[in-house]
Amino acid sequence: MKATDADAPLVERVKQGDVKAFEMLVVKYQRRIERLIGRMVRDVDIVPDIAQETFIRAYRAIPQFRGDSAFYTWLYRIAVNTAKKTLMDMKRDPLVTESARASRTDDDEPARAESEVSDGETPDALLASKQIAAAVNFAIEALSDDLRQAIMLREVEGLSYEEIAELMNCPIGTVRSRIFRAREAIAVRLRPLLDTREGERW
Amino acid sequence: MAAGRARLAVDVVMNRLEKQMSTGTGNDLEGERLSALADGELDATQCAAVFEAWRGDGELRASWHAYHLIGDVLRSEDLASPVHRDVSLLRGVRSRLAGEPVVLAPAPLDRTAAIRRRGTTWRWSSAVAAGLLLVVGAFTLNRSAPDGTATETVIARSEPSPTAAVQPLPVALAAPDAAPEPVLANVEMIRDARLDRYLAAHKQFAGSSALGVPSTFLRSATVESGPR
Repeated sequence: MKATDADAPLVERVKQGDVKAFEMLVVKYQRRIERLIGRMVRDVDIVPDIAQETFIRAYRAIPQFRGDSAFYTWLYRIAVNTAKKTLMDMKRDPLVTESARASRTDDDEPARAESEVSDGETPDALLASKQIAAAVNFAIEALSDDLRQAIMLREVEGLSYEEIAELMNCPIGTVRSRIFRAREAIAVRLRPLLDTREGERW
Repeated sequence: MAAGRARLAVDVVMNRLEKQMSTGTGNDLEGERLSALADGELDATQCAAVFEAWRGDGELRASWHAYHLIGDVLRSEDLASPVHRDVSLLRGVRSRLAGEPVVLAPAPLDRTAAIRRRGTTWRWSSAVAAGLLLVVGAFTLNRSAPDGTATETVIARSEPSPTAAVQPLPVALAAPDAAPEPVLANVEMIRDARLDRYLAAHKQFAGSSALGVPSTFLRSATVESGPR
């Protein structure tokens, strides 16, 4: 029950006119949305554009979001519709995609070859992804049992703090603190990989 | 019972020890709140502070990203996305959001005072809009009474502009949802004695351009309010 309305405070905040709270939802869901879109369209280069369009549409429609479903379910539907519409537009007007592709190869010669890799990622991006996954796994192994159990119950099993407290025989405040400290311990190991280049800021 | 209390005490001590052992300092409180918010487990009373902090604290924003990335990777390794990809998507969305009107959904009445205030503004502006609508509608009916559909179109089209003029924040997105409201209010307003009084009181402006409308229109409004 808790899992479905985890985004309710953020959504409420956006409805009150806080655009920054919407950014928090973007940061939270961008990876899942991009993966979803990536499975629907072949051309990986247009995935970020469709993802961006998805979030803008969601922002425009958020006053109509009533919380009947989880926010992510609702966002998922918008992503699917946006991807479908883009695919239809491309079929109707193939010149657009053709010219987009041409300009891309001008900029970056090897781009064409790379886009034929099945999942469309560049070798650099693939390597970076693998490093991040490895760092997370390594950091999880290094955690104390309490911290590891707490974060796994939350992130993988999707349990609420109350359920975790019951399972781990401890107060909810302890669950909250353990999950936070687990996240921080992993984030510390990730930080070298997450340092954004060229002073890019969140 | 006693054992339970003892366990609780041990937990409290452990909790405190674990907290002391953690590396961070003052940011920990906010970090822990952010972490709880990420799980939808933060008290509503504490949410506002986190939203405010997130806004101005680049480190908290980086933490927010890291926490969710960690969760994604734990669930599925193919969600491990290179950070520059995440940043560039957010930046794209952010720059487009800058050009969007701020969304503002009418809030339920049991929210905070601030929202209630905003709700009042909204109701007020709908009332004013409905009042203006009535006048415009009366005018239109006067001119093209047999053609009912044309009147409706004019009403529908003229609706957003008075609203936008009164309400400083653009509510374009909420408009489709709330569109039936002013029309309904309009129907009720026709029977509202207060509106009759309002129209009567403003008859004094007839002929002057104080309301910024053509004098022909005011003449017909005067004629119309007569038989009532």
